[in-house]
Amino acid sequence: MPNIRSVLFFVLLLLPIFCFSQQRYTISGTISEAASNETLIGVTVAIPELRTGTTTNEYGFYSISLPKGDYDIVVSYLGFKEVSQTVSLNANKKINFKLEEEAEQLDEVIVSDDAERLDIRKPQMSVNGLKVQTIKKIPVVLGEADVIKSLLLLPGVTSAGEASSGFNVRGGAADQNLILLDEATIFNSSHLFGFFSVFNPDAIKDIKLFKGGIPSRYGGRVSSVLEIFQREGNSKEIKFTGGIGAVASRLLVEGPIIKDRTAFLAGGRASYAHLFLPLFDLNNKAYFYDVNTKISHKVNDKNSIYLSGYFGRDVFSINESFVNVYGNAVGNFRWNHLFSDKLFSNLSLIYSDYFYGLELDFVGFEWDSGIRNFNLKYDLKHYLNDKLQINYGLNNIYYVFNPGKIIPNSPESGIVEEQLTKKYANEAAVYVDVEQKVTENLSINYGLRVSHFNRLGQDELFVYQNNQPVIFDPFQLVYREANPIDTINPGRGTNLATYTNLEPRVSLAYTLNKKNSVKASYTRLAQYLHLLSNTSSPTPLDVWTPSGPFIEPQLLDQYALGYFRNINNGEYSIELEGFYKDIQNRIDYIDGADLIANNAIEQVILNGEARAYGLEFLLRKNEGKFQGWLAYTLSKSEQRTPGRPAVVDNGRSNLESGINFGEWYNTPYDKTHDIALYGNYSLNNSWSFNSNFIFQTGQPTNFPVGQFEFEGLVVPFFGLRNQTRLPNYHRLDIAATLKPKKNENREFQSEWVFSIYNVYNRRNAASINFRQNQDTGSNEAVRTAIFGIVPSITYNFKF
Amino acid sequence: MKKIFYYFILCCVILSCEDVIDVDLPLTETKLIVNAVFRVDITQEFVPVSVSVTETTDFFSEPQVTELENAIIFYGISNPDAPEILENLNSSSLAEISPGSGIYEPDPTFDEDQRIRTSSLEPGMVFQLIIEHKGSRYFATTPYVTSPPIDTIEQGTETLFDEDDIEVLVTFTDVPDVENYYVFDFDFDEFLALDDQFIDGQQFEFSYFYNKELMPGDEVEISILGVDEPFFSYMDLLLEQTEGTGGVFETPSATVRGNVFDITGLDNDEIFDNVERPGNFPLGYFAVVQEFKQSLIIE
Repeated sequence: MPNIRSVLFFVLLLLPIFCFSQQRYTISGTISEAASNETLIGVTVAIPELRTGTTTNEYGFYSISLPKGDYDIVVSYLGFKEVSQTVSLNANKKINFKLEEEAEQLDEVIVSDDAERLDIRKPQMSVNGLKVQTIKKIPVVLGEADVIKSLLLLPGVTSAGEASSGFNVRGGAADQNLILLDEATIFNSSHLFGFFSVFNPDAIKDIKLFKGGIPSRYGGRVSSVLEIFQREGNSKEIKFTGGIGAVASRLLVEGPIIKDRTAFLAGGRASYAHLFLPLFDLNNKAYFYDVNTKISHKVNDKNSIYLSGYFGRDVFSINESFVNVYGNAVGNFRWNHLFSDKLFSNLSLIYSDYFYGLELDFVGFEWDSGIRNFNLKYDLKHYLNDKLQINYGLNNIYYVFNPGKIIPNSPESGIVEEQLTKKYANEAAVYVDVEQKVTENLSINYGLRVSHFNRLGQDELFVYQNNQPVIFDPFQLVYREANPIDTINPGRGTNLATYTNLEPRVSLAYTLNKKNSVKASYTRLAQYLHLLSNTSSPTPLDVWTPSGPFIEPQLLDQYALGYFRNINNGEYSIELEGFYKDIQNRIDYIDGADLIANNAIEQVILNGEARAYGLEFLLRKNEGKFQGWLAYTLSKSEQRTPGRPAVVDNGRSNLESGINFGEWYNTPYDKTHDIALYGNYSLNNSWSFNSNFIFQTGQPTNFPVGQFEFEGLVVPFFGLRNQTRLPNYHRLDIAATLKPKKNENREFQSEWVFSIYNVYNRRNAASINFRQNQDTGSNEAVRTAIFGIVPSITYNFKF
Repeated sequence: MKKIFYYFILCCVILSCEDVIDVDLPLTETKLIVNAVFRVDITQEFVPVSVSVTETTDFFSEPQVTELENAIIFYGISNPDAPEILENLNSSSLAEISPGSGIYEPDPTFDEDQRIRTSSLEPGMVFQLIIEHKGSRYFATTPYVTSPPIDTIEQGTETLFDEDDIEVLVTFTDVPDVENYYVFDFDFDEFLALDDQFIDGQQFEFSYFYNKELMPGDEVEISILGVDEPFFSYMDLLLEQTEGTGGVFETPSATVRGNVFDITGLDNDEIFDNVERPGNFPLGYFAVVQEFKQSLIIE
């Protein structure tokens, strides 16, 4: 099977050679917004006569090579006026387009866009784009527009519920999502334990979520890629954007440093301390802030540089005796260089850091942990002709993991300072990705990523009997931590473990006719980092750990098949996709594993496997006064950790029962049914209304099957893992946006967003706890619901 | 540049709370529960040997007292070369002294005293418990674990979440250069499991905030128990399961398996482990631990 695959791969690679017979010239350039010079991503550049075209890349660049001749070039991007230009192509030409925003007409509001719209011809499948404008309209709790909460309305994306960090894509864990902000990895996507995501919607240009068919330029996470690009800033004039909400406010300034060449952007967002969580008295704090910055400079026609940064922190403190600070910091330098009008390159140098700090005064210590990485990326996009584009590049990431350091916080403290052993690793990859139109009806993307991971030496490493850090008790049927038989001190130059993986990716689209197409894809991905998280959604305290001698990299094989249809000339679209995922080496924790401050995490981890499969349906209405979508996902997500192969000891082969007796069990993100309905109705130029409804099958959890008493403690007793579920989750939110009439004919633009979250006050269970009632002594089940009905008002402005 | 207008309206109602609901729980077969923690006070003449047995019912009903066919304790010094062999073996036969109590204590009807003298305890001593219940035979083994005493306890003045929080400051001195594990019993069924990873050899003071509302004049009795790593893990997990912090940060609940296991039919020939019968296990724990106590009157 692998042989057939590689033969096919080479045959396809040779195909383009036969296409070079005719004299061709290249048109290339940048497409940007006329008012601000902000480059536009995904603009369609069409040549109707040849029934061909291209789109702009992440930096607004396009390039297409065509046979000599005269052509009409049509540049379109919804929300903007279409531009068309006749070109006599007898030499390579550079044409930059500036698009003007379409003025909203009085009665008919045109709100639709390419990013979200379905392109049935492209092989890219399992991708959802969301425009910032859409995200800002979706009603969310406390009125703060939220990238991640908006993603939850898409098929195949769920979360553990309110106040839970991260999101789950196609039955995958939250740590399997690669979140990129201007190409830098973000390790924690949530503020305030998941109430808000870390992305300031005003600073964002474009969002794309890859759920499958992931191009080979991405790697390192097995479930999805969420790619977020920050805006470059207005290089024409100074502009302010902001909003005042119930819990947080934001303000963003952008403008030229050198007109038309250099622009800056600086945005800040902060929640009001003390207002949130009014549970405690005034000595307590709970707030967050984040800052987005960017400088972009156009050196000349061939070179542009970008410097961008993000810094965010959450701060909690209770009576000064419990202080908790955590957040991401990202710095990034990028250089776009055009080698020729066909060869676009981008070099990125990225630093990214996640910090978690905790001070517990009543125990007498400070704690900090985190992950840092240095990332070098070089990507080239080679636009060979209108039928063939080859992307290739390389990437190297060096990681430093700090599992934790404990420091006494006063001379009286009885705590002994200790640095848990820091871990080091390097992840390198090279890739090639071919986008090819084979025939009029058939397009194929295929590529290969070769990733190579070195777990580097560290100060102390434990050695175990039989190389097994986890031992199995064949009588009590429990896994236990093994005692190390030795400790070695491998130098940083040594390799503790090395993994190399070939990650082929193929996706193809076959257009049946103008309206219908079918797409299929296969993706293999390797993930070398694991988030140690034993809860149903990640917590800020969770630490990342690299693969190594005892923890294998996760390997994904995903197959997806889809049917796509545009109805009524694109007014409606239907997407139907089925997927099957299989993940090797999904880590699982032994019962009672303690993950925090564990210097020998290998003692509580076993390598298991996971699988997920499902069907996604998305019906969209893309045009008109009423727009919106209905998303339905039917899926299953499971994992299991069977006993390891028998180890022969004293002439006896020891069998193991595995975790959960080796049976498949539901992952916490197994949601059988997931329905999301989103609608937007534009009544007139002033008022528009939005609503969404979400239904999710209750999250798998454990309910006790009995109770027992031990030393006076009444203890619930649980059976196998995740056998039961919380009640179903559902909720309806509505919002109304008012643009005051006086906005017309003035520069100051404002809007009010009134929203009601959880309209019918559904008490969705975040958890059900089983405990003994302190007064009656009898046992009871207690439901915790986070948000009831929450009305809120946000005021947004721009000038 | 124009003036920034500040319109500010705060309108937010957070209704987050807890309520008691009805839940249908899955049913399972009843399990035997063994509670056998002997807290040794070396100033006393005898080890307080007492094994209490009950059976699980469903979660909302009280466990039922049950009866054993047989209960015996063996104790001796573990052979350093073959830890499973006990030397200088002694035994103590247990009987239900008060009928229907489910509590088994050294049988007074024997000619020979079945009680265990604290003077016979020594480091490296291992205890084994064998009981028979409804035709099955169960076995547990545990070492005798010593503990350092509590240095001081005193009442603190800090509060954590609530003005009425009662803080107690506990000080003890960890035994240096060995891995130690402790369980603190704060009375009122409140416990804390602690290891010495970050406090090795130190005199360590820490705060404990009571869950129970205490009034001035109430007396609290605080004990330190020296435990081994498996019992520490067991208590740690048990506490995690009972304390249910609520919310998504909770660790998944797991079956808390103790150290008592089924040995029915284990012949070390055909059957030498329980891998083929994973569902058959009792709950509870058998431990012999040294205890030091101090008490404090809340002011």
